[in-house]
Amino acid sequence: MENLITPYIVLCLALTVITAPFLVFLLSLIVKKLAPFFSILSISTSFIASLILFLAVWQKQTFHFAFHWINIGYTKIDIGILLNDLSVIMLLLISFIALLVHIYSLEYMRTDPLKHRYFAYLSLFCFAMLSLVLADNLFVLYAFWELVGFASYLLIGFWFTKEKAVQANKKAMIMNRIGDIGFLIGILILLSHFHTLDIDLLFGTGDLISSSFVKGDSWISPFGIMPSYWLTIAGFCFFTGAIAKSAQFPLHTWLPDAMEGPTAVSSLIHAATMVAAGVFLLLRIAPLFNDVVLTSIAIIGLFTAFMAATIALTQNDIKKVLAFSTISQLGFMMLAVGIKDNSAAIFHLITHAFFKCLLFLAAGMVIHQLHHIKKEKALNFDEQNMQNMGGLLKLMPITGFVFLLAACALAGLPFTSGYLSKDAILVSVFEFADLKGGIFWLFPLFISITSWLTTFYIFRVVYLVFFGNFRLSKIVSIPKSSLNIHDPNPYMIIPVVILGIFCFGFFFAYNPFSLEISWVYKGFNAPSHQGGLYPILVPVYINIMSFAIIGATYLIYSKQTVKLNLQNSWMYKLSQNQWYFNTLYDVILMNIILFKAKAFYWFDSKVIDGFVHLASDLTLSISKIAAWFDTHIVDGLVNRVAALVVQIGVWLRSTQSGKLQHYFIWMLMLVLSFMIFKIVV
Amino acid sequence: MGILSILIFLPLIFGVVILMMPNSLAKYFKYINVAVSLVQLAIASWLYFEFKTGEAFAGVNQLAQYQWVEKLDWIRLDAGSFGTLQIDYLLGIDGFSIGLVWLSALVMLIASLSSWEIKTNLKGYFALFLLLNTAIIGVFCALDLFLFYIFYELMLLPLYFLIGMWGGVRREYAAIKFFLYTLLGSIFMLLVIAGLYLSVIDPETGNHTFNMVTAMNPANYSSGSIFSALANQQIFGFSARVVGFIVVFIAFAIKVPVFPFHTWLPDAHVEAPTPISIILAGILLKVGGYGIIRIAYGIFPDVAISASFWIGLLGVISIIYGAMNALAQSDLKRLIAYSSVSHMGFVLLGLASLTPEGVSGAMMQMISHGFLSVMLFFIVGVIYNRVYDRDIYNFRGIASQMPIFTGFVMIAFFASLGLPGFSAFIAEAFSLIGAFSSQSLNGLLPRWMAMVAALGILLGAGYFLWTLQRMFFGTLRLKKEEWLVQLKDLNVREIITLTPLAILALVLGVLPSIVFNATSFSINQFLTLFK
Repeated sequence: MENLITPYIVLCLALTVITAPFLVFLLSLIVKKLAPFFSILSISTSFIASLILFLAVWQKQTFHFAFHWINIGYTKIDIGILLNDLSVIMLLLISFIALLVHIYSLEYMRTDPLKHRYFAYLSLFCFAMLSLVLADNLFVLYAFWELVGFASYLLIGFWFTKEKAVQANKKAMIMNRIGDIGFLIGILILLSHFHTLDIDLLFGTGDLISSSFVKGDSWISPFGIMPSYWLTIAGFCFFTGAIAKSAQFPLHTWLPDAMEGPTAVSSLIHAATMVAAGVFLLLRIAPLFNDVVLTSIAIIGLFTAFMAATIALTQNDIKKVLAFSTISQLGFMMLAVGIKDNSAAIFHLITHAFFKCLLFLAAGMVIHQLHHIKKEKALNFDEQNMQNMGGLLKLMPITGFVFLLAACALAGLPFTSGYLSKDAILVSVFEFADLKGGIFWLFPLFISITSWLTTFYIFRVVYLVFFGNFRLSKIVSIPKSSLNIHDPNPYMIIPVVILGIFCFGFFFAYNPFSLEISWVYKGFNAPSHQGGLYPILVPVYINIMSFAIIGATYLIYSKQTVKLNLQNSWMYKLSQNQWYFNTLYDVILMNIILFKAKAFYWFDSKVIDGFVHLASDLTLSISKIAAWFDTHIVDGLVNRVAALVVQIGVWLRSTQSGKLQHYFIWMLMLVLSFMIFKIVV
Repeated sequence: MGILSILIFLPLIFGVVILMMPNSLAKYFKYINVAVSLVQLAIASWLYFEFKTGEAFAGVNQLAQYQWVEKLDWIRLDAGSFGTLQIDYLLGIDGFSIGLVWLSALVMLIASLSSWEIKTNLKGYFALFLLLNTAIIGVFCALDLFLFYIFYELMLLPLYFLIGMWGGVRREYAAIKFFLYTLLGSIFMLLVIAGLYLSVIDPETGNHTFNMVTAMNPANYSSGSIFSALANQQIFGFSARVVGFIVVFIAFAIKVPVFPFHTWLPDAHVEAPTPISIILAGILLKVGGYGIIRIAYGIFPDVAISASFWIGLLGVISIIYGAMNALAQSDLKRLIAYSSVSHMGFVLLGLASLTPEGVSGAMMQMISHGFLSVMLFFIVGVIYNRVYDRDIYNFRGIASQMPIFTGFVMIAFFASLGLPGFSAFIAEAFSLIGAFSSQSLNGLLPRWMAMVAALGILLGAGYFLWTLQRMFFGTLRLKKEEWLVQLKDLNVREIITLTPLAILALVLGVLPSIVFNATSFSINQFLTLFK
């Protein structure tokens, strides 16, 4: 096999992976009818090419291709492809899940008049996402990073006449922009310090990052010296980018709102792939982070995981629960990055992609069914509200079964993929606390609580939706039999069943209790857990409690024998209102910014323009004074002189009377005066 | 007669032709106008393809390295003891001007195409329009300060009438404000030009000269002259060269416009008819940037270095200040006018860094903003000419009514807010790279400037996305019932106008080397002035 795969073929395959969806993006906008067909074709091509690439690269070799793009001063930016273990496994994951979601979308979007646009946007997303993981330098990565955000913007606002949807996509884009600015500044710091953005040169074989060091107050690289705090700032900048993209506190509020988009989009972009790009970025540049940044990543991850899990406990919108669950799970991955267990982070990223995608798609099937009923019978109810569901396992057995399977994986129960990956993180957290001691024991404490909360909220969903009585028929008072709820057709069933298979632990390790033999985990230089008791004790203690919780949720939500009356407690309200972050951001922060903008405009129109007007008024006044001076003084003088001349003239004219006697007298006076003058002088 | 002279004076000739044509043929004027612009664009494109790059063609302070140079003795006046008054007709092109000449030709074509909306006094309009065209191309080609100044002032006259006669409600206020603002700057600049004339000696003829390329070489200053760096003359207690730089800088900063000299811009834009807004944003602002680079920085490099911090600061303030003001607007055209202030701030910031990256970014931003602002103002024109209203709050959900139009709006908005793949992203990124690395390379700008400027990109996303959401998405709701009929989707002429602009934004975003290759050698040469 190795001999067959030459670098040239690898390059061609990699280009195929990304160009196929891009061509379809263009084509779909032109040939509207065939858009779904082309999309499926292209993503299948990408998937097959990714599979071959995976087989050629995984644990074998690294390929790096770079082509000259921009060269100014010392800044050389290439466009290139970097294929290593991380990129090929991401390629495979993304193209595979995207393929399943494409198939699912065929049915989900069947009746939408703008279907071609949907598939075009979806293809654009796939192009950007696949390119993002292939990019060999941070500048290009940044470009695609923004482009996936743009594709997500288009898809969240796909139903652009829905006011909520267009509010949500604006919010998503702006919050992501905050992260992008951080990312961009990080790029500026690295570029000015290392004169390159090539990932392989910086963090891979070139290893420039290790050749730089902090000495005293200076951060010294082969190319220059910076004050040492820039190393920390650089770390925080990239982390800000990841926070926004992976919806971590405090930039997490866009993700629940993004659920306004089609459910298939939520599953692909806002659960499985794009939101994981933040984690992916951190993994790509992990050697950059110093201890301060790493600890911050761990704290933010832990806090987000805990906070989002508490919010998910009380939401009634099924997609909102899953959205907060995604935020929480991404917090787990961040935490893993923060405690330097990168292999656990990537492992959890992969297993999470499958089961969370499945949860969304299954929820989408339920919503899709209810939506049909709503349109058919012209009813008015919220098809995403779980209070309108219940007992659906009997009506939609396949859907219910795969949802249950994914829920078990999310809760990390034995035999599931989640058991392996989540416990990998938990074990590392315990070891981390053991090493650091003291206050760091809060990490295992909170992550255990979060883990149990996860079990609670997902089984709450399971019991509310699939067990108990079908509440909708009571609410709309139509008998269950005439509502005609059933499993959807194979376009939707096949993808979820395939995803369901990947929720089993067997797929990742032939012994589903042994993390050590899991091929993904092993593939990324996993830290060794040998010797300690944690790898054995932690899963046991987490799972025993989990089973207890499952029992409790069964009693509360399915049997409804136990009643929880917490609706009025402050904790319930805090959770229900999502910790009031939306209020804080939308009401307070937005108003402050808008007020500032108004203040700036006031300053511009009143002060600066006022100054201009003052200057012009002043000039006008001066010119009026000048005009007065001109008419009255200067011109007055001229007129006075003129008047004098006229008067003299008039007076002189009077001498020209035409009478001989007058002339004679004048002559006499003249002669006389001349003589007097002569005598006197 | 060289090719540049043809490029410059072609519109003037046809302007005279239009003046002589009877009014009965008025409906053909717009076609003549478009034809002239098309020919100009063809010539400019030919120039661009023929433009040679390399160290031997860098230009800047080497007249021999300029291309298509035309030099004629224009005025030779024996001024007795002052020697001979020497004014040359001197044209030439280097890496700084080639892109802008091409941009001007393109923008004039777009403006011609959008002149369909002009319905009154066509003869006057098109004659002035063509006069303006001559002046604009002339500014970018002139290498003699006197000739430059003539073209520079010649732009003002037609613009004053074009805004004042074919503009909106407050057109006279806007026109006079624009005129006085710009004149104020250029009057003082004239003094500096006169001072330069008295200081610079043409080494060939021994006469004083207005040649700006000669003025870039310190050796050509006569000893003891006012702007001689060695003589260190004083004006009002300040170094003469510092005063000269500041005066020239302010004259062009008004054009750019840089905070706090920008308040003419929103008024002029709001009142000007669409084609004139297009020219204002597309080219006039670039004349400011070009002047700062070529004259303020080129002739006073020693002062420019020490002023870099303040110029960078003005750039950063413009970026943030313009964006914040844009955020507060509800008039779409005023919003875009303020966004221009913000975007042009990147030109100043990149230039102030005096790094190859920064100056390249600044040049790229000028060209990119050139056609993106054209696109934005054309878009406003599309709405305004249909319903004579452009208040953002009076529209909602236009996307369902005008899908093709909304597509172009999204391209223009996203390109302007710096989405990768479009030219503005490359321009802003490189301005920022230059500004940030300046501290390590030459210590001119502190690093926080680039970081604060990056916030401007965020604010840009704020106002553009808000406009999209508020005006174009959501359920269709318009202020008046009859707008539903009037708001038709784009016609063929409008699509033909917008498509090349969109493609250009994309092409330059993916292949920025098209611009960078033309500018890089000139920029390197330019930067040697500061060593």
